[in-house]
Amino acid sequence: MIPLRIKIEADADHPFVIRLRSFEGGSWQKRPERLNPFDVALQHAGPEGADYAGEGGSIRVFGIDPSEVDGDVLLVNPRRGTADRLVRSSSPHNTFLVTERCDQVCVMCSQPPKKHHVNLFPYFETAALLAPEGATIGVSGGEPTLFMEQLFAFLARVLEKRADLSFHVLTNGQHFDEVDRDVMVSLDQSRILWGVPLYSHDPAVHDQIVGKPCAQERLLENMAFLCRVGASIELRTVLMQPNAAGLPRLARFITAMLPFVRIWAVMQTENIGYGRMNWKTLFYDSSAGFDAIGHAIDFVRSRGIDARLYNFPLCTVPEIYRHLAPATISDWKRAYRKECDGCSLRTRCGGFFEWHPRDHGYSKLGAVQ
Amino acid sequence: MNVWPLKFRELPDGSMLFSDDAGRFFKADDGFLDRYATDELSVADRSFLKEGSHSFDREFDLPWTSFAYRWSQRQSRPEKMNYVILVPTLRCNLACGYCQVSRAPDSARGFDWSDETLAGVLLFLGGLEGPDIKVEFQGGEPLLRVDLLETVRDFCREKFSQSRFVVCTNLQKLDTRAWAFLDADDTFISTSLDGDRTTHERQRTHDDNVTDGFFRNLEQAVARYPKGKISALPTVDVANPPDFDALLDNYERYGIRSVYLRPINHQGFARKLDQGDNVLARWNRLHSEFIDLLIARNHRTGRFMEEYYFTQCLKRVLRFDTNNHVDIRNPNFFASDYVVIDYDGRFYPTDEARMLSRIGRIDLGIGDVATGIDQRKVEALNSGAFNHFDPDCIHCAYQPFCGTDVVDDISRYGRIDVPRPDTWFCGRHLSLFDKAFEVLYRKDKPTRASLAAWLGVAAWDDGMAPVHS
Repeated sequence: MIPLRIKIEADADHPFVIRLRSFEGGSWQKRPERLNPFDVALQHAGPEGADYAGEGGSIRVFGIDPSEVDGDVLLVNPRRGTADRLVRSSSPHNTFLVTERCDQVCVMCSQPPKKHHVNLFPYFETAALLAPEGATIGVSGGEPTLFMEQLFAFLARVLEKRADLSFHVLTNGQHFDEVDRDVMVSLDQSRILWGVPLYSHDPAVHDQIVGKPCAQERLLENMAFLCRVGASIELRTVLMQPNAAGLPRLARFITAMLPFVRIWAVMQTENIGYGRMNWKTLFYDSSAGFDAIGHAIDFVRSRGIDARLYNFPLCTVPEIYRHLAPATISDWKRAYRKECDGCSLRTRCGGFFEWHPRDHGYSKLGAVQ
Repeated sequence: MNVWPLKFRELPDGSMLFSDDAGRFFKADDGFLDRYATDELSVADRSFLKEGSHSFDREFDLPWTSFAYRWSQRQSRPEKMNYVILVPTLRCNLACGYCQVSRAPDSARGFDWSDETLAGVLLFLGGLEGPDIKVEFQGGEPLLRVDLLETVRDFCREKFSQSRFVVCTNLQKLDTRAWAFLDADDTFISTSLDGDRTTHERQRTHDDNVTDGFFRNLEQAVARYPKGKISALPTVDVANPPDFDALLDNYERYGIRSVYLRPINHQGFARKLDQGDNVLARWNRLHSEFIDLLIARNHRTGRFMEEYYFTQCLKRVLRFDTNNHVDIRNPNFFASDYVVIDYDGRFYPTDEARMLSRIGRIDLGIGDVATGIDQRKVEALNSGAFNHFDPDCIHCAYQPFCGTDVVDDISRYGRIDVPRPDTWFCGRHLSLFDKAFEVLYRKDKPTRASLAAWLGVAAWDDGMAPVHS
C-alpha cells in the first residue's frame, strides 16, 4: 500500500507545510523553474534517510525513495516525527480530510465520525496552492460543511489564486442555506464538483441508512438550492442490501426530480469502519444480481444523465456495462487478488479495496481473458 | 398541489399521450383525460403526477426547480459562432438532376472566391473568439479548389486550438493533392450515396464510367481511412425511391452505419421537379416503413444501423440536452453559432437560405465578408424562429421536442405565418414524433434492441416509457 504518512525528523516546534524537491546536490539552482519559499531541495540521500533544506525549513525523511516524493506537499508534525503527504504529486487521488466530525452516522461509513476537531484549513490552503498544475483536490470528512465559513473561504481563495485547480467536495448536503447563496454564486462552480449522497427515493430507507431523521427531506431541499446556484453535482449512491432492490425507483426519481445532476455514481461498499461491522447485512453481491443496477443506469442514461459504477471490479460487471466502470478506487487503497493474475482487464480495472474480505465478497469474480 | 399544464394527443393506435412544457411525457387512458379536464383527479392520478415531476407544491421546491431546469435546458442557446459552411466554388464536375444550388459548369469563370473574398473570409474567421471551430466546405465541388481549402485550413489550425474540417465532396475526381488534403486526421469526408449503384447512377452520375469513378474513389477512401472519417447521405426521390434493403447493404458495405434519409430539397432548383401529389404523405409513409425495415434488419443481422434524424428525434423526446442539430432545435436563432459564406462572399443564415436566394425567390442574404453580418435582417428572421407562442404549437403535445424552419416556410409558402398544421415541416414532424412514440412504447424484442442501440444504452425494457394505468 502507498504510505500517506511518513517518518521524519525536523528541528521545529510547530507543524509546517513544505514541498519536497528531490533533485540532488544544489543542482536545483540551475533548473529553470523558480523555487517557492515552501520548497525544500534534496541535499543528501543515503541509508540513514534523505535530507532536504530550503527557505521553508529543513527535514530528514525516512523510509521512502526521494524520487517517489518529488513534488509532494507535506504537513510536517515535528513533535510526532511524522509528516502527512497532503498532496502526492504523482497521484490523481489527493484528498484533504478537513474534519472527522459528522452529523450523520451512516451504516456503511468507512471513516466513522469523531468528536475531536482540529482546524487545519490554513495548512490545506498552503498545500493546495503548492499542488501540481491542473490538479483536482478532494475535500472530505467527516462533514466538511460543518465548517462552512472556513470551507467557503478556503475554496474562494484557492480558486482565485490558482485558476488551474479544481475541487471535488464530498458533503452530506445537510447544511446549505439560502444565506449561502451569494457566496455559492461567487465561487467558480465550474471548478467544484459537489459529491452528495442519496441512497433511496424512499425517505424512510435513506434516513435509516444515514441514521438521521428527516435527513432526506432536508437533503432534497438543499439539492434544489444547489441547482439554483449552478452547482455541479455528483450524486452518489452506495449500493447495499437495504437499497439495492429500490435502485430502479431511485433512477426514476433522479430523472424526475434531480435532472440537474452532472453524474450519478452507483458505488460498491467499502469493508472498513462501520462498513466492516455491518458487512453481513450490507454487502450486496452485484456479481450475482446485476439486473436492477443495469436497468437503473440504463434508465437515467436514456434520459441524458450520465451514470457510472464506482469501485466495481470489472470482472464482477456484465461486459456491456464495463465501459461505465472507471478505476475509481484510490491508488493507495487499491489491491489485486490472486484471481487477478493474467486478467486482460487489469490495466484499466480499479481492483479491490485493500481490505476487501477474502471470503465475504463477490460470488463471481476472476481473471477475464 | 399544482399540476403543470399537460398537452395531449391521440396516437394513431388510439392511445393517448400527455406531455408538459418541459418535455416529460406519459401515456394514459381517456378516463384520465376526463378527470384532468374536469379537475377531478383521483388520489392515484395525483400520486402519479407528483412522482413524475408534473406537479409542485410551492415555488422553488424541488419539483418546481427540476421542472424549471428541464424547461431551460430544452431551450437552445448557442452562445458563440463556431461553425462555418464555406462555398469556395460553385463549380461542379457533376450535373445531378435534383441539384439544390444550381451548380456552375466545371469550366465556368467567376464562380470561385476572388482574392478579395478569400481575404474577407480569413478576416471573418480571424475575428471569431474560439477556441474551437468546425469548417464545412460545400460547393459546387470544393475539391476543385483545394488550394483555397488548404489556405483556410492552415489559417484555422494556426488561429484555433481545436479545429475540424469536413469536405462535402462527390468523390468523383481526386488528384494527389486532393487525397493529401483529405489524409489529415482533422479532416473528414461527407459524400452522397443515393443507394444502390443503379439509383446512384440514375440520380447523380448518369454514366457507367462516371459511376465507376465514384465507387472506385469511395472504396479507396474506405480502405485508406479509419472508421468514422467518412459519412454519407442519400437523397431520396419520393416518386422513385431506391430499394432500401440495397441502400442499407451498400452503406454497411462501406462501413457507414448511420444513414440520414433526406427528401429532395425544396429550396433550390429541385423545386421544379414533379414529384406527384401527396408528396408529404408518401414521404412520411416511406420514412416510417424505412424505420420498420431498419429494426427488422438490425434484428436479423445483429449489426445495428440507424436513421440519423430519427435517432435525433428520439433523443429530443427523452433528453433535454439534444440541442446540437441545426435542423431541429428551439429556438433556432440564425447566425448565432453557424453561418454560410457563399462563393461571392455573401453571408447566409443557412445553406437552404443560400439556395432559395440563388433561384431569385427572395434575398435571404445577411451581409457579406466586406461589410459584416446584417443584424437587422437576422433579427427579422429570428422573430419567427421559435415555436413557443405559435397558436397551433402551444396545443401540441410535441411542442417541447419540436422546432421551426422559417426558411422552409418561406420557400414553400412565401410567408412564415401559414397555420402550422398546413406546413411541410409540421406534417413531417408530427409523423416523425408519432413514429418515435410508437417505437418507444412497442414491446417486441427487435424494436427494443434497436432502441437500446440508437440511444446508447445496454437494454430498453418495461418501465422505460412511462404509463399511467
